[in-house]
Amino acid sequence: MKKMKQRQRGVILALLPFVLMVLAFQVVPLLSMLTGSFRREDGTGFTLGNYLHAVQSAYYMQAIKNSLLISVSSSVIGIAAGLLCAYCITRFTPAVRDRLLMLSNMTSNFAGVPLAFAYIILLGNNGVFTLLFKQWGWSVFSDFNLYSWSGLILVYVYFQIPLALLLLYPAFYGIREQWKEAAALLGAGSWQFWRTVGLPVLSPAIFGTLGILFANAMGAYATAYALVGGNYNLLAVRIGSLVAGDVVTQPQMGSTLAVLLALSTLLAVYLNQRMVRLTEGFVSKSPRKRLWRREASAGVRTAALEEAGQ
Amino acid sequence: MNTRRSGLAPRTFMLLLMAYLLLPLLATGLYAFAENWQNTLLPEAWTFSWFGEMFKDIRFLEALWTSLYLCLITVVLSLAVMLPAVFVITVYFPRWESFMKGIVVLPYAVPGVVAAVGLIRAYSSGPLNISGTAYLLVGAYFVVILPYMYQGIRNSLLSVSAVELLNAAELLGASRRSAFVNVILPNIWPGVIVSALLSFSVLFGEFVLTNMLVGGHIQTIQVYLYRRVGESGHLASAIAISYFVFILLLSALLMRLGTLGKR
Amino acid sequence: MNDYLKLQGIRKRFGDAQVLNGVDLSVAEGELVTLLGPSGCGKSTLLRCIAGLAELDGGSIELERRELTSLPPRSRDVGMVFQSYALFPNLTVSQNVEYGMRMRGMAPAARRSRCRELLAMVDLEDKRDMYPQSLSGGQQQRVALARSLAVQPKLLLLDEPLSALDAKIRKNLRAEIRQIQRRLGMTTLFVTHDQEEALILSDRICIMNQGRIVQEGSPEQLYTAPRTEFAARFMGSYNVLTRAEALTLFRSLRSAADSFAIRPEALRLLADGEKPGEDTDGMIAVKGTVQSISVLGNIIRAVVEAAGICLTVDLLNDGRWLRVREGEGVTLMLDPAQLLQLEQEGA
Repeated sequence: MKKMKQRQRGVILALLPFVLMVLAFQVVPLLSMLTGSFRREDGTGFTLGNYLHAVQSAYYMQAIKNSLLISVSSSVIGIAAGLLCAYCITRFTPAVRDRLLMLSNMTSNFAGVPLAFAYIILLGNNGVFTLLFKQWGWSVFSDFNLYSWSGLILVYVYFQIPLALLLLYPAFYGIREQWKEAAALLGAGSWQFWRTVGLPVLSPAIFGTLGILFANAMGAYATAYALVGGNYNLLAVRIGSLVAGDVVTQPQMGSTLAVLLALSTLLAVYLNQRMVRLTEGFVSKSPRKRLWRREASAGVRTAALEEAGQ
Repeated sequence: MNTRRSGLAPRTFMLLLMAYLLLPLLATGLYAFAENWQNTLLPEAWTFSWFGEMFKDIRFLEALWTSLYLCLITVVLSLAVMLPAVFVITVYFPRWESFMKGIVVLPYAVPGVVAAVGLIRAYSSGPLNISGTAYLLVGAYFVVILPYMYQGIRNSLLSVSAVELLNAAELLGASRRSAFVNVILPNIWPGVIVSALLSFSVLFGEFVLTNMLVGGHIQTIQVYLYRRVGESGHLASAIAISYFVFILLLSALLMRLGTLGKR
Repeated sequence: MNDYLKLQGIRKRFGDAQVLNGVDLSVAEGELVTLLGPSGCGKSTLLRCIAGLAELDGGSIELERRELTSLPPRSRDVGMVFQSYALFPNLTVSQNVEYGMRMRGMAPAARRSRCRELLAMVDLEDKRDMYPQSLSGGQQQRVALARSLAVQPKLLLLDEPLSALDAKIRKNLRAEIRQIQRRLGMTTLFVTHDQEEALILSDRICIMNQGRIVQEGSPEQLYTAPRTEFAARFMGSYNVLTRAEALTLFRSLRSAADSFAIRPEALRLLADGEKPGEDTDGMIAVKGTVQSISVLGNIIRAVVEAAGICLTVDLLNDGRWLRVREGEGVTLMLDPAQLLQLEQEGA
């Protein structure tokens, strides 16, 4: 009896700090944000006014629209490039492949402020290439403006591709060489194989990765903030200035937009989880294979986290 | 069989990718060593003076120090909190695992900006007014590295089959606590160190939360870098490159430990 | 012999390893030929070369007098079943079976009826709309078989199709494959490392070692008359003896060969004090001790040491030998007529 009690106390002691920390810095803030989004400007009462305001304000709607557009475009470009590169990378020997992946991952440490800065050096108003192109008279690039939509896309794609590559390449190993051989013997050409078997098998991984990339771009703050500051109307930057801006802060409105942003990323990540489960269904029943899968999806998660932490 | 031979197309595409990914890095590197770089493909003159200036800047050294100790404190705190919690859940309450996983994975579905909004609202008034302090930041950092620490500790526990180890130790007469300290801990240590280092490098590159929560009061290396970008490009390059090299060394160490741990 | 499939001087190397070292083989129409050998002997590579999945370094492959060597896999009219089934996981059972017909542009209605026929043949009509991963291994392999037969190949290649299955299913499917092959008169090359499988299934067996066929013949021939030590060891647990050992046991030898073999079931055993019966006339008696004894069901396998030589003896489990203990003395009865002379390896 006494021993049981002692054990219970031990378990509680071990779990208590964790529970407290999570409550204090994760659950309470999220709840506070959620309730805040339903409070009036003075912080009292209950209202749907904030959401109404967000939907009716052309300014906030533009921020949402810009963010969605840039996230969708950079994700789609990132997926397309990532798919191609992931296929290519599986064609190398494991040693070369790992070195390439390492290089690609290395650059993902180069995110946020340093990345924006590097692009300013290269393509900013006084960037090396900008000046060079001007000198060489390459007018094609004279319209390019790093601090606008096209510049943002370029920079976003930069951090999307390594992530897409990392998330997608294990899926290519799920396509077994013998499927290609069986298809070839049954009369399918290479393209026919990819259309009927290869891409359908990859599709859960593709859509799942798309979800992660989208969430990643929606939440990206540092890069956009350092590159365009307040000059380009993006949701994440807008939220930042509403709650921690230099001028008057509007925490209630900030909470509202933050809830909307969180909804979009949660949805995208949920999509990813569903797709990961679907992918698992395609894998044969051999236990070794399934283990490999699990490792791969753990790797996927870590990779996704790395970007989210930028 | 085909995987042995890499054709022309894969080589070309990978070359293009690497060029795209490495070009900004390279440019920053060159810029950090360039005395003057305008209107030419490569800088005209080289210098180390930007690095010298960087180390002379007392604010840089302060920011570096701030970053280091904030990250260190958070990682140590996280270790102290997470090790017993993950151990208890994995060994005694495996049924709660999926619940714990849900909590722990949440930070990566919630962007930093959103987390910052909640933290600011929750702690800028009322009984716990810690806004703008290092306490709030460490708490926020703790949540950021939750997933890495959880995954790392849990995978280490599973890979050494902690439950069997514990049972064996207890059958041999060890108490629960001594079994944990003497048997489990030494065995999972390599894996735990790897996730601690990974967490450290993640926090070292953190900008969103730092800038929004304590940007005006506490300068970490990232915030400092942001402030300097507008002033001198060359100096900022030197800082960015130093930061990058530091992270690189850290990842190299990580990878070394990772491969050692697997053996 | 009718040369329906004719292989001549097939050579293939991977890096430094010569995997196929001049293989010649002829297969008659409707025949089931087994390529039997240990892993790494090149049997699977040979199959892949015939299918066009691996390129040849030398030699020629003719099927119905048509040279295949320069054709891509899909133009070879060859069907193949893999050890790991290789079913497409995103397609249902019937879509898998119809795949080849679809690629050849067959009309949907014709495809469907042929698919129904084939699934009936492998007894899987009720699984037609299921996905492969929800089927058992044996069922998946039957789907794979139906899929490869759907396009009516001229030659069927089976690459260890039963190795991934457990023993009971393996036996059933083995019989089923043989029955379907006979019914369709399908010319088939079957690769396996399991000698029992080869003995039961085949019209003809080719034993392969180190990239070449070392012996071929009917199952009876190969089992009763292995030519080399390799074949003897591989075809059963033959006792292989050096010349010196054989001389010790049999006292005189009629042959000048360097090594000999005798089957475990050709040896007789007499318990201590038992009188030799009439059926042991002409046999040589040698004293020995039982080293170990294990019951394999209908057979009892004893290892007997005689004159410093260990011999495996298989005894019919008629109850008589259950009392024999390790370390007991016995008399070995050796029949000189059962002693096979072996050729030198590679000769």
